[in-house]
Amino acid sequence: MPLLEITGLSLHFGGIVALSDFDLTVHKGTVHAVIGPNGAGKTSLFNCISGIYRPTAGQIFFKGAGVSQLKPDQIAEMGIARTFQNIELFAHMSVIDNLLLGCHTKMTTGLFSAAFFWGKAVREEEQHRLEVERIIDFLEIEKVRKKTVGSLPYGFQKRVEIGRALAMRPELLLLDEPVAGMNVEETEDIARFVLDIKEEMEITIIMVEHDMGVVMDIADTVTVLDFGSKIGEGSPAEVQSNPHVIAAYLGQE
Amino acid sequence: MLLLLTWVKNRETVVGMEPDTLPKLLARNRILYSYRVALREKDLGIWQRTTWQEYWCHVRDFALGLKELGLSRGDKLSILGDNCREWLYADLATQSSAAITVGIYPTDVPTQVKYILENSQSTFVVAKDQEQVDKVLEIKGSVPNLKKIVVVDMKGLRRYQDPMIISFKDVEAMGAQISERGPELFEEMVQSTRSEDPAIIVYTSGTTGQPKGAMISHINMIAMIRGLSQILDFLHTDSFVSALPLCHIAERMFSLIFPMWAGCTVNFAESVATLQEDLGEISPTAFLNVPRIWEKMHSNIMIRMQDAVFFKRWIFRAMLPIGVKVSEFKLKKRRVPMLWQVLYGLAYLALFRPLRNQLGLLNARIFVSGAAPLSPDLMKFYHALGVPVRECYGMTEMSGISCMPPNDEIKIGGVGKPIPGVEIRIADDGEILQRGHSVFLGYYGNPEATREIMKDGWLYTGDVGELDSDGHLKITDRKKDIIITAGGKNIAPSELENSLKFSPYIKEAIVIGDRRKFVSCLIQIEPETVSHWAQNNRIAYTNYKSLATRPEVKRLIEGEVEKANTNFAQVERIKKFVILDKELDQDDEELTATMKVKRANIEKKFRDLIEAMYS
Repeated sequence: MPLLEITGLSLHFGGIVALSDFDLTVHKGTVHAVIGPNGAGKTSLFNCISGIYRPTAGQIFFKGAGVSQLKPDQIAEMGIARTFQNIELFAHMSVIDNLLLGCHTKMTTGLFSAAFFWGKAVREEEQHRLEVERIIDFLEIEKVRKKTVGSLPYGFQKRVEIGRALAMRPELLLLDEPVAGMNVEETEDIARFVLDIKEEMEITIIMVEHDMGVVMDIADTVTVLDFGSKIGEGSPAEVQSNPHVIAAYLGQE
Repeated sequence: MLLLLTWVKNRETVVGMEPDTLPKLLARNRILYSYRVALREKDLGIWQRTTWQEYWCHVRDFALGLKELGLSRGDKLSILGDNCREWLYADLATQSSAAITVGIYPTDVPTQVKYILENSQSTFVVAKDQEQVDKVLEIKGSVPNLKKIVVVDMKGLRRYQDPMIISFKDVEAMGAQISERGPELFEEMVQSTRSEDPAIIVYTSGTTGQPKGAMISHINMIAMIRGLSQILDFLHTDSFVSALPLCHIAERMFSLIFPMWAGCTVNFAESVATLQEDLGEISPTAFLNVPRIWEKMHSNIMIRMQDAVFFKRWIFRAMLPIGVKVSEFKLKKRRVPMLWQVLYGLAYLALFRPLRNQLGLLNARIFVSGAAPLSPDLMKFYHALGVPVRECYGMTEMSGISCMPPNDEIKIGGVGKPIPGVEIRIADDGEILQRGHSVFLGYYGNPEATREIMKDGWLYTGDVGELDSDGHLKITDRKKDIIITAGGKNIAPSELENSLKFSPYIKEAIVIGDRRKFVSCLIQIEPETVSHWAQNNRIAYTNYKSLATRPEVKRLIEGEVEKANTNFAQVERIKKFVILDKELDQDDEELTATMKVKRANIEKKFRDLIEAMYS
């Protein structure tokens, strides 16, 4: 059974067609890249999966269960985490607090014990803090763990955002342009992290990305979107030689 | 109670014992200090502790594991990676097996790693993480002697199928099983280590040519520490932060030899990036560093001060001269007058205490700078803060330190007296010669180089210096670096360079002038401070190159050069300089792993720039 299966997905905003009759199958343990020109519908696809948009038609199955009618928090609880194209962190909170917030869906403490920080709340906090420290170690952000996020350089903020998604302990991670606006070195770091997330943490990844170098290097499968429809799919090499894809990216003669 | 009694009994057996190898010292410390903290390492945000007892167990298990894998007397094991507890476990385990440890700089590129593995004929490599393993795998085809790669941190290595790879934990587990069957096995191995055998090979950083492996025996290290401990009395309450690469002899002393001798605690920072914060948390009692770090700390203070609010700036400007004045009294060994004592007390509370706390130097009582000369201005600055930095003199071939000023005899510009057991003589041409039990055994597999440096029982250091009336040594410079200008004047470039590097805007300076009409200089700006200055002055730039080539920056540096020039005589002054438009890098063969400039390489590489200054 594939981890995520999308069938006949369509999304319309009035007369505008963002996605039309789109199918996608993502297998466990892979890095699946979604590419396409600007406005092709990549982020709309992410918003459908994470429950922000309700699709006009079609079905999304996560581990065999339909999720297209669920709310974003319910989907998050099922094990789908995401990052955003533009950083959506709490700029005035510290890195640790931002990451702890990622653990929110896993917290079960009641109002009373949380308010007095007593009993189970303490134990749970300790356990989550350990989890957060492991992520800090993994993403190599020890240096900034106590800094407010707003004061950090862009590259670090991106890592913190990935960290927050990881703190949800997801099975499926959606990365929306993880290396946009980064220099060569930062890009290499993120690429390495993505591969480590796949292998060490055994998390499946769907990635929207414009940096073709990264996509070709680390993706197992690539899906190409254009004007809301799938125009190609396959291994990076296959997609690169697909005439439809070349036409969409470079224009037709 | 029983535990206490056995401890007291064990303790009696070791008091008065004179262990003559490092593993035997470990065996003694395990009994003397058993449940005291020997090592700390920050992991997952918390300082994790290792007691002497646990230290012993780790070394025992790893040594027995290595033995099972085939490490035997005289074999070499290389360690490649950043400082961590496992580095020391591996080092001591190797020495306990009567094998020899070779340290490799974690910043070395694969070809350099290959050279050292080949040259030392290492059969084992302990690699810290994936980055280091990749380097070894890349070149393993050309080092046929290599049997196993032991990896400390297995992160990212899951897919690696190479049969040579084994994890550090697995080796320890193998050893633990053996030790259960034969608990006395390791004790016997430790007792059979011989003091005259080579214990470690330290590759010299090599500002010229390929690095050479200096063989150092147990007796060398013990002789050095026995002499040095009469000057710096280390206690088991002392703690150090391991900051320099462990393969360098200076860090080996602080992290391995001193703790083995006196039972001090060693702390490992979480990562290289967090060193400054971790230093503040630990506040070590002794602090050894290279001039580069002392310079960096100074320029950080200066930059932070520029950004501080008016009141703080005022405090800094008003209080620093008090410190300067008081330190002058102290350096001249005069009594500090009452008024100055009161003022100093005030300045201590307002400035020096909080500043030292920030730097992590509050609890420190021993501050040492070594490996390269430190600028006198910088020394005065630290003395004013109440951080009495002293310069020492040493070299790998002397198993570390050979000269160190005693507590009340610190002199600016001097490196102190030879430590007990070391004899120093100045040759007719000014070269410093040394002899003593701490003189190394020779270069591994390079008898010509050994013959070149060892003549008639004296070690020819290649440094030029003089002894003053108190018997203190003063170093002039490296013999081969001394500049003789076309006018016939002898100039020691390091004095000029250090004076320039005192400026927070100058990171590196290379003075040129051998057989030339006048003295000139290549300068590398400190990107952090200069970019900060540029932002404050609204000067646009994009990257290092564009910053370095701005005319405003040239004017800024011109002012700094002028300032430095005032300390020197007319013929020594720098007439022209060029700002390099790239940062010097180890990978480009411009710096050694200890951040010393490779003068010959740089002069060759930037020949056009240099010739342009003289035409």
